[in-house]
Amino acid sequence: MDVAIVGIGMHPFGRTPERSGLEQGAYAAREALKDAGVEWKDMEFAYGGSHSAGSADALVNELGLTGLPFTNVANGCATGGSSLMSAVQMIKSGAADIGMVAGFDKHARGAFNADPKGLGLGMWYGEMGMMMTTQFFAMKIQKYMHDYGITSTALARVSEKAFINGSLNPNAWRQTPIELEEIQNSLMVNDPLTKFMFCSPSEGGVALVVCRADHAERYCSRPVYISSGVLRSRRYGSFEVFAPSQALEHIDGPTVDASKAAFEQAGIGPEDVDVAQLQDTESGAEIMHMAENGFCEHGEQEQMLAEGATRINGRLPVNTDGGCLANGEPIGASGLRQIHENVVQLRGIAGSRQVPGEPKVGYTHVYGAPGISAVTILQR
Amino acid sequence: MEKLPNQGTLWTWTVQRFMPKSPYNSGETQESFTPYGVGYVELPGGVRVEGRLTENDPKKLSIGMEMEVVFEPYRKDEDGTDVIGFSFRPVE
Repeated sequence: MDVAIVGIGMHPFGRTPERSGLEQGAYAAREALKDAGVEWKDMEFAYGGSHSAGSADALVNELGLTGLPFTNVANGCATGGSSLMSAVQMIKSGAADIGMVAGFDKHARGAFNADPKGLGLGMWYGEMGMMMTTQFFAMKIQKYMHDYGITSTALARVSEKAFINGSLNPNAWRQTPIELEEIQNSLMVNDPLTKFMFCSPSEGGVALVVCRADHAERYCSRPVYISSGVLRSRRYGSFEVFAPSQALEHIDGPTVDASKAAFEQAGIGPEDVDVAQLQDTESGAEIMHMAENGFCEHGEQEQMLAEGATRINGRLPVNTDGGCLANGEPIGASGLRQIHENVVQLRGIAGSRQVPGEPKVGYTHVYGAPGISAVTILQR
Repeated sequence: MEKLPNQGTLWTWTVQRFMPKSPYNSGETQESFTPYGVGYVELPGGVRVEGRLTENDPKKLSIGMEMEVVFEPYRKDEDGTDVIGFSFRPVE
């Protein structure tokens, strides 16, 4: 049994001081229900996640005490993807026909401060100032630039594109384009990445209504089908975030593994993808993830970015809603934001940021600590 | 148990320009914080080890340069005892 997305809802990302994370999640859930033309009591199950804004299943207090099974999912940056995959399995198994996937969050300002003990690391690693995701991505792109000839102009081009796309997205946090030079010359945070090359922890909520594919048209005139969803964790030898040491031998990371498996599951290749949302917590991450997900060779990104290949009108539009760079990263909601954007694009309702040519295949990718990646492929 | 070499080459690096939140615990304040280098040093025949770098000037750091490990007081404990940490410094 295939699974379809028949309802989508979003609470704008950014900072909403007057609303809790939970309330933003409930807002998104109501929007998704409305979009599918169903009610909360119709939901046979729900999966949801929030990292810093309480338990996702507290949504029942906002939406109604219907007795449904609501499972909390906590899987870092892959929380949204993991929730969706759980829902897909629920429907594929025949245990339910329709349900909800929701994610929301609300983080304090400033970079995340991860707890070493929570990841099985010594306290010294955090005490000495090495437990910073920003450092990992800076060091990974530093090495990548050295090996593949990527320039700092390419880094700035990714951010420039993100803010242009954000300016076309009424739900984005950052809706003002920033000049290339200003991005390059802004405060250096973790060399080679400047302030405008990083996303920030933020707030927001996203919800989806999913159902059996053969019921989809009851709820939605333009359903989008889930062709694959894959989650992978790191293998020995890959270079990952929060690693006090690493092996000299090199092996592909979880992004490469998840991507290959997702394409195999869907029976298509990277050349078939019309729109892609790739984890861009920093501009360098988007560049590396383009190649790791199979969309280009290592080093080819320099030329692609110079040509505008990943802009909305380019041959492979990437992060059409502004990505994490323009939306910030509310951990529980971020992966579902990517899926929301692909549904919007595949339905053809993205307005001024619509990818031309009636896109048929959308790809999402997240990456997070301690070396995990989730990929989905959607088709209409 | 195998002893790692003291010297290796810088595999990648960055400079931490803002003071991390807790659990960062160096005894510094926002006012006294000094940016520090961080990198992975490839120890031949062993592993790549992540560590702070004694150098924080990006102009003086480059991939492939020779580095050696040093053990130095990192901060003082509540009772005044030195807490020793490791870092890597460029080989002169």
